[in-house]
Order: sequence, then structure tokens, then C-alpha cells
Amino acid sequence: MKSLARFTERCDGINRRDLLRVGGLTALGFGMADLFRLQRMATAESLPAANSPKAKSCILIWLDGGPSHLETFDLKPDAPAEVRGPLGSTATKIPGVRISECLPRTATILDKLAIIRSMTSPLGEHNFGTHYMMTGYKPTPVLEYPTVGAVLAHRRTQAGVLPPNIAVPNFSVGGGRLTGGGYLPLETRPFSVGGDPAKPNFQVRDLDFYKGLDLKRLDRRRQFVNALNEFDRNADKLAKTNSDPDLQRAYRLIASPKAKSAFNLSDEPGKTRQRYGRKSIGQCCLLARRLVERGVSFVTVNNKGWDTHDNLYTRLKEGYTGAPKPGVGLIPSLDLALSALITDLGDRGMLDETLIVVMGEFGRTPKLNTAAGRDHWPRVFSAVLAGGGVPGGQVVGSSDSVGEGPRDRPVTPADLTATIYSLLGIDPKLELHTSDGRPVRVAPYESEVVKELVG
Amino acid sequence: MPAFVLLLTAITAANGEATVNFDNHVIPVLTKAGCNTGACHGAAVGRGGFRLSLYGGDPAFDYRSIVLELEGRRVNLAHPDESLIVLKSTESIDHGGGYILENDGPGAARLIDWIRQGALRVAEKRLEQFQVTPQLHVAEGVGATLQLKATARFSDGSAVDVTRWTVFKPEDASAVEVHPDNAVAKLLRRGRHIVVARYLDHVVPLELVVPLSDTTVDFSKEPRANFVDRHVLDLLSTLRVPVSPSSDEATFLRRVTLDLTGRLPSTEIQNKYLESSKSTANKRRELVDSLLNSDEFIEYWTLQLARLLRIRSQPQDTQGALSYHRWVTKQLTDRVPYDQMAREMITALGDTHEVGPANFHRTAAGPREQAEFTSELFMGNRLRCANCHNHPLDRWTQDDYHGLSAIFSKLTSGRVIEVNARGEVMHPRTGKAAVARIPGERFLDDDSDGRQALATWLTDRNNPYFAKAIVNRLWKAMMGRGLVEPTDDLRATNPATHPALLADLAEDFVEHRYDLRHTLRRIALSAAYERTATPLPKNRGDDRYYSHAMIRPLEPEVLADAIADVTGISDEYGNQPIGTRAVSLFDPQIDSEALDILGRCSRVDSCEMVAGAAGGLTVKLHMFNGPLLNGKISNSKGRLARLVADGKTPAEIVDEFYRRALGRPLAKREREFWNRQFHQASTSTAERELLEDFVWSLLTCREFVTNH
Repeated sequence: MKSLARFTERCDGINRRDLLRVGGLTALGFGMADLFRLQRMATAESLPAANSPKAKSCILIWLDGGPSHLETFDLKPDAPAEVRGPLGSTATKIPGVRISECLPRTATILDKLAIIRSMTSPLGEHNFGTHYMMTGYKPTPVLEYPTVGAVLAHRRTQAGVLPPNIAVPNFSVGGGRLTGGGYLPLETRPFSVGGDPAKPNFQVRDLDFYKGLDLKRLDRRRQFVNALNEFDRNADKLAKTNSDPDLQRAYRLIASPKAKSAFNLSDEPGKTRQRYGRKSIGQCCLLARRLVERGVSFVTVNNKGWDTHDNLYTRLKEGYTGAPKPGVGLIPSLDLALSALITDLGDRGMLDETLIVVMGEFGRTPKLNTAAGRDHWPRVFSAVLAGGGVPGGQVVGSSDSVGEGPRDRPVTPADLTATIYSLLGIDPKLELHTSDGRPVRVAPYESEVVKELVG
Repeated sequence: MPAFVLLLTAITAANGEATVNFDNHVIPVLTKAGCNTGACHGAAVGRGGFRLSLYGGDPAFDYRSIVLELEGRRVNLAHPDESLIVLKSTESIDHGGGYILENDGPGAARLIDWIRQGALRVAEKRLEQFQVTPQLHVAEGVGATLQLKATARFSDGSAVDVTRWTVFKPEDASAVEVHPDNAVAKLLRRGRHIVVARYLDHVVPLELVVPLSDTTVDFSKEPRANFVDRHVLDLLSTLRVPVSPSSDEATFLRRVTLDLTGRLPSTEIQNKYLESSKSTANKRRELVDSLLNSDEFIEYWTLQLARLLRIRSQPQDTQGALSYHRWVTKQLTDRVPYDQMAREMITALGDTHEVGPANFHRTAAGPREQAEFTSELFMGNRLRCANCHNHPLDRWTQDDYHGLSAIFSKLTSGRVIEVNARGEVMHPRTGKAAVARIPGERFLDDDSDGRQALATWLTDRNNPYFAKAIVNRLWKAMMGRGLVEPTDDLRATNPATHPALLADLAEDFVEHRYDLRHTLRRIALSAAYERTATPLPKNRGDDRYYSHAMIRPLEPEVLADAIADVTGISDEYGNQPIGTRAVSLFDPQIDSEALDILGRCSRVDSCEMVAGAAGGLTVKLHMFNGPLLNGKISNSKGRLARLVADGKTPAEIVDEFYRRALGRPLAKREREFWNRQFHQASTSTAERELLEDFVWSLLTCREFVTNH
């Protein structure tokens, strides 16, 4: 009998607040025998081991709200009008593959991209979908899982002092309930830059000294805090250190002018800034490039507004009613940012070592609703990968004629996560441990690496 | 396989009947196989054109789907085994969901038998009770197995063993394994684990425990202040987890003052309390009583209730929030019982600028959202699942959800709350106006006052939710974790860590006239509350059984006030008067960079799981370089400047700040440490800088930013 696991689902009543009930319920740090037992169970799995990965870092372009697959990478030009929607398609560098008319620049470099058109998930609520897409696990009430960025931050010893996992402008994704770190230590959570790089006065808050202070003073303050934390009677005597990791990281970041200059977008030529597009997504992608250049492992570009329940055309294409062509809506802005990022990384010889992932929490309903929008639709949607050794110019899987379900080669968020881990040189079978010692794989047992994408 | 056949035979034999009943026999097969889950045909839009009610909650609907839709192709009376429902589930033909039932298995056999008998839906007997044994089991160790057994009692008095068709789902699959065929549970990890059993529309939890240690603990000498301690120690004893000792006076004073008033104990109170020669028990009782009777208690608990009620300004309208906030303060001042507060909020009408409690009806965006909010607030229940389908893990139906919404639809929105008799919400299943309903109880007549009926029902002393919902939150405020988490999700399938304690607390609360102070006092005077936060090697992993106190980050408002109190410089909040305390702000939208960075709750959504302040890189960067600490420590009007101007020595200043920030004198090695530091300061500038750095580190260290 096949596993029934994929058919068991919870009501939409759980959310991040429930997920804070992490695994402490059970082991309390005892029971090593169980741990070994589970480890043995785990070794029985067979998944391809990651072989000499090219990708050192990853830029996730998160289209928050759930981008319409039918308006971006999986158009249905032959479907009835209520499915086809308001946008036309355009031919691409790959014969026979068409994408949105609003993605003309991306179309010309489609040989560098891989599109998955058969993403499928049962979770059509923002927080749940986000959790599934970003961690590879469906949410459960007993454990919040870490995102890929957090796992990377946890596993990699990153040179330099920039946080290994950064979100621009912030990590308020999918309803805002995901912390990002899951059961991993707090310091693996994404660092939110805080400001929008597209704003003229953009700067990261609190990186410069308060008046009258200097590094020597800050260093002394930090050491005093460490001393006080050691004196604390409640200090965990069994812990290796009582120093506050966030405090140490904050100090190191402040102490490094070089690291801080990473956030200085005004160092970029005006032409470059223009090329990425002046919208938030463009300048965020440019900042992301500067960060991965300086060794940051994972950057989330969080782009808002894709929850297009109404006025699809205006939101996705024009940006505002009566905008000059080709529009400044979400998709043209994505087109500028994505094409510029891929080309720029290519020019710098960094494309092979930088994995780019474009996705959101789910797709949108095949039929337009009465408000000329589309609602949540997780049964089939698209995701895009580029760089990082991903063989470009291919379309993996397909949806049916109306974009309602996968026609072939269904890929779950778990599979995609396992694939991303593989590309980044992390074995999807790798086991990490929760605070109470429970071993958990980075990608779920049932996940399968999408072989076409790992080259 | 033969075992199943025997079991099936046993069932039919026990019933003395051979007929397969749709409601009682077929639906469990579909549920057991997962056909009617939300991920499959139980989804609101179904799957592949075939839709079932979620977990079989609506058998009539399922019968229509299976038997009448698709021109009857789903069942084939002439050739039962060629019915689509059999061919698909056994994947004899292509099935998107794959291979669900074994060809020769008992599930498929049941389906075929039912079709062979005519695929009828005969109103027979109703499931009245569903029981699982054992409900609680303490196993000897990891690896232990036990047989779970499920019994269904029907309206005709019959009891049937339905173990084979019950779905057992462990909350944590890595802790418990339940074999899907024979219902043998195997315990994989130590701890207390919950398994949820589902049969037809009934769900019940069972609790399986593997003690956390092989060594028993002896609590015979542990103090027991009241029923709280009996329950807490009973469970710790079962789990074999030892308890940390009672905390010292200084720690207790700081903890309880923060919990009840959101403030650090002043040096005056510290001196008085620590120097009192009364017995510990008397001192603590007097302290708790004086805190509960203080104005600071009213101010801080107004904030707690304001968060719970999500009091916030409306666009271009702060007056309503202000009047609501003042009303809450007045209730606490007048010691109005909590049930009366609830009745007033639910029944209030009028201009929200004048009538504080009428703002209750402006909390959520519409009647449905208001129903969700009300259920979370006053029942600690999430009706929201039941918007689109009956709640899969609870008793709530769509009738309950839309019926409660209907009650709130009879009100106008906006500044003035009035009755709007024509207001209605649509029931998505019927497409008609939903009938007002007391959730889980009864429909209301058209002409009855729905809000009055709701208020009366909620605050009836026998209401099963109202008192539990609030005492669970009071417990959390004092102890750091709800007996049920999340605190707005009380249901049978999410049982409390200490169910009997929750019940006793609720009963005690009702007995004492819904007095919030009474329950807080009960908890504050328990031995469980007094325990130190210092873990023992054998209880350090405990985060929910209260073997030691939980270390809790201070809330953003409390931390901001504490920083202001210690430094002697208050923060500025929008255009509020200088000296306004963060805990007294009536609106979370009042400008404050500090509170934003520390992570205050916007109250747009529930605030119940908003973590405390002082975490994360962003906060630490702000501590280093922002004005929150720096602007206050070096301020010429601040405490440090005043103490220096008064000619105090560094040692005296260090002592003073320790008292104010940590509520205790320095330990010997701390004094030595700071003496060494100040010994190195050669100039007055150097000494002043060192003092500033000392105060900064004190306000950043873990002991200051937490309650412990």
C-alpha cells in the first residue's frame, strides 16, 4: 500500500502562531536511543547526492501574494477568454515556448532560464503556501521548519561579517507569519534590511555610530554585556557560551566599513541602476547582486502585490490606469529586474555560482473572477530557476489546457526545495537537529530532486 | 489480510446484520483512505470533478455525489466491482490520487458489498458517542507498543468496534507511530504525545506518555499552595521531572511586579519588601495584594486587555479607541466582573466616541470577521475554519459560523452602532441569508435579540468556553505559556497540557464572580509561580510543565518603560505629553520608532503570539547606534548625570543602577568585576564614559531584558 501521507491535510485554521509550538513537547533533550533509531531510518532513503555543486549563493525573487502563472510563464493563448485572460504572449529564444507579452527581455534570454510549469501543492492559503514553498515542508502544529536561507546560513561558514541570510526590503512574506529560521538558532533568520533600495534616501538603519561613540566604546559595551550574561544566575551552565549572537553580529557589522558599503547602491553607475528598473524589485535585485558578490549566501528579494484578486490587467501590466506603454506594473518590473540580474551576473562571471529562483506561494485560478482578477490556486503553478548550474532553455512539466492541474511531471514544493538544496551543494537528506535533539531532514522524505534541473 | 476479514466479520456479527450502511460504513472507508481530505475530494472545489464533504461531515451531500452525479457512473449496480468509485480507488483505471484501496482489501470489499445491496442510503442509527481506549497511557519506555481500540455507540444502543476504520493521527509523527491496519501504537520518543482519533464526524484526542527519565521523583516535601500545585506536581511526577527550588525574595519581587504592573520594582519598594521581617508566605501575600490593588495594575492590565480586544484607532478616528480604552480602565478600576464586561461589549450600541464598549463592534472588517474575532476572544475557539466547510478538528459547522455572523450583521458599521434589522450574511451552502445561531447550540428566532442571546449564553456559568478562554490567557500572562497553546485554539483535539488544572481554574474563576484579580492572585501565590528560572540538569529541556520558571522577554512597551525608568528619561510618543508611559498608550499607531523596532503589536490581527522585544540583529543594531539607549544614558537630565553631579562614587552609582535595573544588589564577583574596570579609569572623562558603557551593558544584558 502506498503512503497515505500526501492525502492527509489540515484545515486552514493553523498558522504561524500554532507553529511556534516547537518540538519541546517531547524529547526534552533525553532519549538518545530514539535519535539513533531515526537516523538509521533516514539512511535507508535513496536520493542522488549533490555532486560538486556550482551554486555558492542563491537569490530568491519572492513574488509575494502568489503570481498568476497564466499571466507570466504559463500562458494559454488558445484557451477561452475567461481562462486566457487579458495578456498576450510572446515568442522566446526557445522555439515553441511562449511567455507573457510583458516579459520581452526575459524572452530573449530564456535560454538561460528553466521554467517549471507543473508545480503543484494542496495549500492555497498565504501562510501555509509560503511555509511549504520556502521550507519544503507543509506546516504542522508541532514544528516550524527552517527556510532554505536559514539552512544555508546554518551550514555555511561565511567569510566576512555580512549576515548570511538577508531579506530586502524585509522578510514580511506570505501573511507575515514565517520567521524564516524555523527550529534553527535565531541567528539564522533573515536579516531585514529595513528600507526600500528604490527610495532615494535608502539606508540600512543603525549602521553608523551614535554621536560621541566610536568602535572602541562599542567593543567595550559588548564585552560588558558578555560578562553580565556570564554572571546571570539563570545562565544555562551547560551551554557552550552565554554570549548573545545577535549582539556579536551587530557589532561585527558596525565594525566593518567594507561590509556596510555593500548596501551603498549609490556606488553603482546610474546606467546600471536604470537597467534593473527603478521600481523596488529592480533596486532590490541590484542590492542582492552586491550582497552575493560579497559572499552573502542567501538573499530574499521580497516583492509585494502579487495577490491579484482584482484588476489583473492594471496591477500586472499597466501599474496604474493610463500608464505609458509598456506599463510599469508588476510583470514589466519583474522583466527588467530579472533580465538585468541574469545578464549582469553573466557579465561578471557569477551566473554559474549564483542560483536565481523566482516563485510565490501558489498560482491563480484558471478562470477570471467577477472582479477581473484571479483567486488563489495551488494545484498548478509555475516557478523559474536560472544560474547556479541549472541547464537553461528548458521547460519542465506542463499544465493542462486551462492551467488547472499538472498535465505531466508534477513537481511539489518539497521536490523543488530538494532540488534547490542539491544545486546549493546541500544533500537533501542532510539531517539537522531541533533544539530538543530531534533529527529532521532538510527536505522531506517524500521529496525527489528534479533531475532535469541539476544538470 | 485474514485478520481484516475476521474483523469485518466480527463487526457484522456483532450487529447481527449484514447490510452495509452508507453513513456508518461507507463514509469511514473513504475517511480512512483519505479520499475526503482537504487535499483531495474534500476540497471546497473537489478534485477531478468529484467532490465530497470534508471528512464526511455531510453524508447526504456525499451520497448525492457518489450515487446521483455523473449519471450514476460512480456506482454500477449491475457490475458493482466495475463502479468508478471502486475502479478509481483501487487504481484499476487511471486515478489522479493513485492507489488508495487494495483490490482485495476490506475497504474495497465494503464498497462493493454496499453497491451490491443497492447502493442505498438508509436512515438507520446515528453515531452518538465515539470512545477510544486508552485515553491516557503511560508507557514504560521508548519502543513500547499498545493496542488502541475505538468503539462507536449508536442511537439504537449498539456498540461497535470501529478500530479498523478509525483514523489515528499522531500530532508528531516522529514521536508516535500508529499502524493504519491494526491500530497498534508504537512510542518512539520520550514525552507526552497526542494522537487524534477520527471516526465519522467525531474526533477525540488520546494522550500517550513516556516518562522523561527512568528515575522517579519524590515531591512529598514540595510545597503546595493551592490546587494549582497539585495538578502541576502530579504531571511532573508522571513525567519524572524534578522541580527547581523557590526563588529568592528579590527575584520574586521583580517577577511579580513586572507581571502584575508591567514595571520594575522601585528601590523604595525593594527596601521595604526585602527588609520586612515577616514570614516569606505573609510577605508575598501582602505584596501580591498591594500590587493587585495598585493604579499601576490598572494601567498595565488595561494594556493587556486592550491588546486582547485589539483596541486601535480607525482611519481618521482616534476618538473611538480613546473612549474604548478609558472604558476598559474604568472596568478594572471599578472591579467589574469579566462576564459583565463581555455582556456590555456584545450588547453595546451608540456613538463609539461616547460609548466605549460599542467599539467592540468596530474591531473587525465585517460580520464574518467579527464572528471569528468574537469566537477567538470569548470562546478561545477558531470558528474561521467553518467559513468554507465544517471544522475538521472540532464540532463547528458552517451553520455555526454563518449563524454567529448573522447576529453581528444586524448592526450598522461606522462610528455609530445601531441595529440594522435588514442586515444579513449569505450562507455559502444554501445561497440564502444565514439564520442567526448560538454556535453549537440552537438557531434563533427572527424577532429575538441575537446579541442579547449570545451574551447570555456566553456568560452563563455553565458555558464551556468563556471562563476557560480567559483563565488560560491569565495563566499565560503569569507563567509564560498557556495551558492550551495557541490561546485562541481551545478544542478537544488540542488538549491542555493540564486539562484538570484548566477546568479547576475556570471553575474557581466563575465561583469568584469572574474576578480577574482573583485568578491572577491564585496563580501568583502558587508554588509553581515562585520557582526559580534556573534549570536543573534534569529539567532544563522543560518548556511547558512548569518544573522551573520560564524566562520571558519583556514586552516592547514594558521594556521601553523600564529603560525610561532606569535612565530617568522618558521616550516621546507622537504628540502625547512628555512622560507618557508606553504601557498607557491607547493606540498602537501612535508614532514611536522605539516601539516599532522593539516589535509592538499593531492589533490589526491577534496579538497573542507576538514575541517579546530585544531579539534579532535589527534590535541589537538599534541598541548600539540608535537613540533608544544612547540618547537617554548620556542625557544631561538623566539619572546618570544627576548621580555624577551629586558626587556619587562609581561604586555607589553601579549599586544604584543594579537595584533599579535588576532589582537586586551586586554579587561579590560582580562588584569585583566593576571595581577592576573603574580602577583603570584615570580621568573624569574616562570615568564618565565607563559609567555610560556600564549602564548601556546593564540595559542590554539578558537579565534586564527578560522577566525571569
